Amino acid sequence: MVSLLEYAVIGGILFGIFFSLIGIGLNLIFGVMRMINLAHGQFVMLGGFAAFVVSHDFGLNPLFGIPLSIVGAIIIGYPLYYAVVPRLQKSHDPEMLSFILFFGIAQVIEALAIFAFGADQRSLPGDALGGGNLGILGQDFPDSWWVAVAVSVIAIGGLYLYFSRTKLGYATRAVMADRDEARATGINVDRVSVIAFVIGLALAACAGVFVPYLLGSVSPDIGDNLTATSFAIIIIGSLGDPIGTVVGGLVFGLGTMLMQTFYASWSNLVPYVLLVIIVLIRPTGLLGRAVRHA
Amino acid sequence: MIKSKTRMAVGLAAGVAMAALAAGSASAATAPSVLKIGTLYAGSGPFAVASQSEYQGLQFWAANVNKAGGVFVKAFDKKIPVKIIAYDDQSSTSTATTLYNQLITQDKVDLLVSDFGSVLTSVAVPLAAEHHMLLIDPTGSGANFFTKKTRYLADVSIPTSTVWPEALAHYLLEQKIKKIAIIYGSNDFDASQATELKRVLGKGGVDPVYFHSVPTTESNYTVLLHTVAARHPDAVIEFGYANNDIAFLHALSASGLHFNMTFTVFPGQLLSLLTKNVGAKALAYTYTYPTPPLVKYSDVNAGMNTDDFVKEFTAEKHEAPNYLTVAGYNAGVIMQGMLKTSPTFSQTAFDQALLDMSGKTKTLLGEFRMTDHGSQIGELFPIAQLIPEGDSNKIVVVYPKDKATGTAVYPAPK
Repeated sequence: MVSLLEYAVIGGILFGIFFSLIGIGLNLIFGVMRMINLAHGQFVMLGGFAAFVVSHDFGLNPLFGIPLSIVGAIIIGYPLYYAVVPRLQKSHDPEMLSFILFFGIAQVIEALAIFAFGADQRSLPGDALGGGNLGILGQDFPDSWWVAVAVSVIAIGGLYLYFSRTKLGYATRAVMADRDEARATGINVDRVSVIAFVIGLALAACAGVFVPYLLGSVSPDIGDNLTATSFAIIIIGSLGDPIGTVVGGLVFGLGTMLMQTFYASWSNLVPYVLLVIIVLIRPTGLLGRAVRHA
Repeated sequence: MIKSKTRMAVGLAAGVAMAALAAGSASAATAPSVLKIGTLYAGSGPFAVASQSEYQGLQFWAANVNKAGGVFVKAFDKKIPVKIIAYDDQSSTSTATTLYNQLITQDKVDLLVSDFGSVLTSVAVPLAAEHHMLLIDPTGSGANFFTKKTRYLADVSIPTSTVWPEALAHYLLEQKIKKIAIIYGSNDFDASQATELKRVLGKGGVDPVYFHSVPTTESNYTVLLHTVAARHPDAVIEFGYANNDIAFLHALSASGLHFNMTFTVFPGQLLSLLTKNVGAKALAYTYTYPTPPLVKYSDVNAGMNTDDFVKEFTAEKHEAPNYLTVAGYNAGVIMQGMLKTSPTFSQTAFDQALLDMSGKTKTLLGEFRMTDHGSQIGELFPIAQLIPEGDSNKIVVVYPKDKATGTAVYPAPK
C-alpha cells in the first residue's frame, strides 16, 4: 500500500509538472490579453503532430519537434494576433467575443489537421526518448516521462526568468497588472501582447511534443479535452498568474494519479471537482491574491 | 341458367383481373424510385477510424448493388437503386441524436443504419423505437440494447458484447490461469464484456484479483498498470476502444512491466492501426478476438465470401479492408436479404424477414443468427494470439480447439 501511494505521489508530481506546461500558455495569454484562447488544446495537438512529422517523415528525434513548434508558433501567432486581437479589443465585450472567435479557430484547426493527417491516432517510437525506466525512491517511470518533465521545468523556469529578469518581462507583468496603466506609462502594450501570445502558443505546442508519450497518441480531436483540462488547472492555480499554473498542475496531477490508483473509475472527474471546490472556497485560485477595489 | 352462370364467371374473372391490375399499378405507384438508406459516420473524434471503415464497407456494398441495377425488393417485385444519405456526427452522441432525428423526420429514409459502436448507436436505439423504424445496427453490441423483445432493432454484424468473452473465459479456466486482472472502459460495450467475463470466471471458481473501470477517455495507464502489477496477476485483460488499447499497450511497453498474458480487443479488429501506433514488438504475444478478414469464412449463401471481398475491396479502394469495413458491407448484405424476402415494405415486416433469415444465412462474417431481442448470437469470437513472424506478427487462433490454427505461447517471453 505504501509503495502504491509513493508511486501515485511521484507519478502525480511528474504528470502535474507536465500538465503545468500544457496549461501555462493559456494562463499567460489570459493574463496579458484577458482573453480565453479556446484553441489552446488545438495548438498542443499541433505540437504533437510536429513531433510526429519530424520523426516519421524526416527520421529525426521527436525532440526536434520543439524548435519546429516554436517556429510554427511565430509563423501562426503573429498574423493570427494582428488579424484577430486588435478588433476584439475594440469590441464592447472582448472576453465574451474571444470565447466565440477562438472556438471557431479551434474547429478550423481541427478540421485542417484531419485534412492533413487523417482522423486516426499517431504515436512516436517508444525508444526515441530512451526506452528504459528511471527510478526515484525505488519507483520507476519511463524515460519519456523524465524528458517531458525536464523540458517542462526548463520552459517554466525560462518563463519565470523572462518575467523576473528581462525588461520585456517587467513590461508583461505591468500589462498583466493593469493594461491601461501600463499603456499610460509608455509601455507598448500591443508589442508586449503579441510576444506573450506567441510565447503562449509556443509553450502549448512544445508540450504537445510529449503528448504521444504521456497520453498514448496524438489525434486531431484531442484539443477540446486538453483545453478543458488546462482551463481547470489554471483556475485551480490562479487565473491570470502563469506561475500559479504550476500549483494547479501539481494539484491536478496528484489528484488524478491518487484517484487512478485507488478508485480508477472516477479519475477524470478530478480536475472538475477540484475546480468546483476551488471556485466555491477560493475563487481567486490557490495562489490568487485578494483584489483591491479602488 | 347456364348463360347466367357463364356471365357470373366472366364477371368474376374480369373483377379479379381488374383487382390484380389495380394492385399491380398500386405497387408500381408506391415503389420508390430510389431506396434511401440513412446513416451516420464520424469524420473526427475517437471513433473516426472505426466509423469511417464501417461506412466505407456500406458504401462499397451500395455501389456494388447499384452496378447490378439496384437491390431486389420483393414487396414491389423489382430492383430499386439504393442511395445512402449520410451525415458526420463527429463522434458526438448529442450531434448524432440530432442527425438520426433528421434522417428519420426530414429525409424520411426507408432504412436506418446506425454509426459504429455502442456509444454512437445508443442514442439511435430509443429514437428508432419511438418512430417505429427498424434500426439496422452493424456494430453496436452493448448488452443494454437487447434486454427486451423489440421489432425495431437488429444487430446484424457483430455479436452482442455479453457473448464476446465466452471463449476467453473458458480459455482462462482451461489454462488454469487464476490470477486475473480486468480493466475496462466505463461504457456499455466494455462493461458488459467485463461483467460477463467476471461472472463466467466466478462460476469456475476464479475471482479476479483486480476489477476496475476507467473513464472511456482514459489515455494514461502508467500508474494504473503499476497498481495492477501490485496484485501480481498472470493475465491482464483490458477491455477498451482502439484509443484505449493504444494508450494501454504503449504504457505497458514503456513501463518495463511484464505479464504472462495480456489481452486487448482491437488488435483483432484494427491490426494495422494498432501496429502503426504501438509497433509490432509491443503487440507481440498479445491475445485478442480475431475477426474477419483475419479469420475467413468461405462457405456463404449471401454476398461475397471473405477472400473475394478482400480481393475486390482492395482492387477498388487500393487499401486493405479491416473488420469494421467487413461489418459495414455485411450490414448491406443482410439488408439485401431482408428486402429480397420481406413480403411487404414495412419496418415490422423487415424485422420479421430478418428473424426468418436467422440461422439460414451465412455471410462473410459467418452464420447470421438473431434473437427476437434484436441481438446477434451467430458467430462467436475465438481467441487468438499475435505471434512474431519477421518484423510483424501473425494471428494464431488458439481457442477453441476446433478453430485453432496453432498453440499459444504461454507465458509470454520477456
